Amino acid sequence: MNKLELKNVSYTYSAGTPFCKKALDSVSLSFEKGQIIGLIGHTGCGKSTLVQLLNGLLTPDEGAVLLDGQDINRKGGDLRSVRFRVGLVFQYPEYQLFEETVYADIAYGPKNMGLSKEETDRRVRETVQFVGLSEDCLSMSPFDLSGGQKRRAAVAGIMAMEPEVLVLDEPAAGLDPIGREEILGGIFSYQRKKKSTVIIVSHSMEDMARYSDRLVVMNRGRVLMQGSCREVFSRPERLTEIGLDIPQITRFMLALRKRGIDVRTDIFTVEEAKDEIIRVSGGRHRA
Amino acid sequence: MLKDITLGQFFPGKSILHRLDPRMKIVLSILYIVVIFLCKNLAAFAFITLFTAAMVVLSGISLRTILKGIKPLIFILAFTAIYNLFFYGGDRLLVKLGFIEIYYEGAMYAVAMVVRIVCLLVGSSVLLTYTTSPIMLTDGLERLLSPLSKLKLPVHEFSMMMTIALRFIPTLIEETDKIMNAQKARGSDFSSGSLVRRAKALIPILIPLFISSFRRAGDLAVAMECRCYRGGNGRTKMTQLHLSFRDFAMLFVILLCGAAVLLINRFVPGFSL
Ligand SMILES: Nc1ncnc2c1ncn2[C@@H]1O[C@H](COP(=O)(O)OP(=O)(O)OP(=O)(O)O)[C@@H](O)[C@H]1O
Ligand SMILES: [Mg+2]
Repeated sequence: MNKLELKNVSYTYSAGTPFCKKALDSVSLSFEKGQIIGLIGHTGCGKSTLVQLLNGLLTPDEGAVLLDGQDINRKGGDLRSVRFRVGLVFQYPEYQLFEETVYADIAYGPKNMGLSKEETDRRVRETVQFVGLSEDCLSMSPFDLSGGQKRRAAVAGIMAMEPEVLVLDEPAAGLDPIGREEILGGIFSYQRKKKSTVIIVSHSMEDMARYSDRLVVMNRGRVLMQGSCREVFSRPERLTEIGLDIPQITRFMLALRKRGIDVRTDIFTVEEAKDEIIRVSGGRHRA
Repeated sequence: MLKDITLGQFFPGKSILHRLDPRMKIVLSILYIVVIFLCKNLAAFAFITLFTAAMVVLSGISLRTILKGIKPLIFILAFTAIYNLFFYGGDRLLVKLGFIEIYYEGAMYAVAMVVRIVCLLVGSSVLLTYTTSPIMLTDGLERLLSPLSKLKLPVHEFSMMMTIALRFIPTLIEETDKIMNAQKARGSDFSSGSLVRRAKALIPILIPLFISSFRRAGDLAVAMECRCYRGGNGRTKMTQLHLSFRDFAMLFVILLCGAAVLLINRFVPGFSL
């Protein structure tokens, strides 16, 4: 069953002024329960706009956002409870930290949900495990954390609400490779454990290829393509046309193909590439 | 939303008001305000309303924008009108409802006050803020006040402070919006509950806002120092201001308007303040 759906959604910023800007144009999407969905697209194509529509922070000009078949912006609907069900981590979420301790900050969301002290405590301790913060950090002031740690604390603040749909707007932007790996890995294991739906916005094709079950490619406020990683990355020319890239390893396989080595090119992780290269070389160089 | 506040915002354009020299615009605004306060009778108020309307048309700014700018002030306007209506005494009684007495003079005074406030706001925002970029505005102000630096007043520093403050208003609004959204996503509730609860709900917004403002101020100071900013001494300007024919033409128009108001005050009969 479809959990979260967008039906012909359009959104224009500052409508009716000289600065008006159409950010989304008739977008229809549906997000299946229990999948990790990667949302990719060029800068300014409307990704952040789209994710803010998902939990009712923005209201579509046209079309509707449906959660379990119900329009979240309907009259008399309770947006606050929608926001507990669809958790959104903003792009650069560090600025949302405000409490005296990291613990209190992560507990802010669960507390707003009206959860008991014990349940809140359990969730805080569980989520810091996922995002890879040490327990010592919990008693520190969030402003004494490093940039990467702040990011983790902010992500944990939403995760602790255990939303049915977790939406993350570029959770790994501006982090070092190990930081990226840890935060994305944490989100991944969180998803596997909670079986929730996760939507990740990212610019990194490598990360998306590794973690997502399905990709949605956006261009200029519209959905250009969607499908499994295999389907999307098998058409590199469409991606490069709109200024996106394919994973490095896929480019590598394409280059091999060009040189006359008969490898598959619908490959986007290093592991797969290794197996494929071993296969075509007749399994002689088994590692 | 916060972003919908249009008062004090700049709307780029190419109208004659946009192209006036900012120094002249400041002078014109002052003169315009003086003219508004010169108005003494209804005919004069009608005249200044027409004049203001003409300026709005000249600026090419849509009526909707203007009305949106006045909207936040509805409360003050209503208060002014009601206050004057009920409490301004006179000798021509219009209505008497129990202890409430409304006089002809009170009604006229209420109208005059509302017209005065609206003209003041609309006129000066059309002349200055809507049609002048903040940079030009402070530049004009700095030039206009530059004689004062002979008296060792920090004119340049003052205008730099203003430029920076003006520059960061939209940024702060945007940031407040962003933080509010982030906290809303965590279930903050700003619009229900008791006053104390609502005030408490602001903490998650104010703290991040203060922190980022301080950080930004520090960053800006460092960035300015890296580019060797050291106050106004020997600093030249990239854009030079020039007074042209149209500036003097507008000055003439405003003076003419002032003269007209004085004449109307004197020779048109009717209610007078
Ligand atoms: N608050 C706003 N007011 C006006 N226009 C906006 C606003 N926010 C975004 N836009 C415009 O809407 C378009 C989509 O912006 P959006 O932030 O959704 O892009 P994005 O895909 O998230 O980009 P990025 O990858 O850089 O984060 C952009 O062209 C942007 O200029
Ligand atoms: Mg974005």
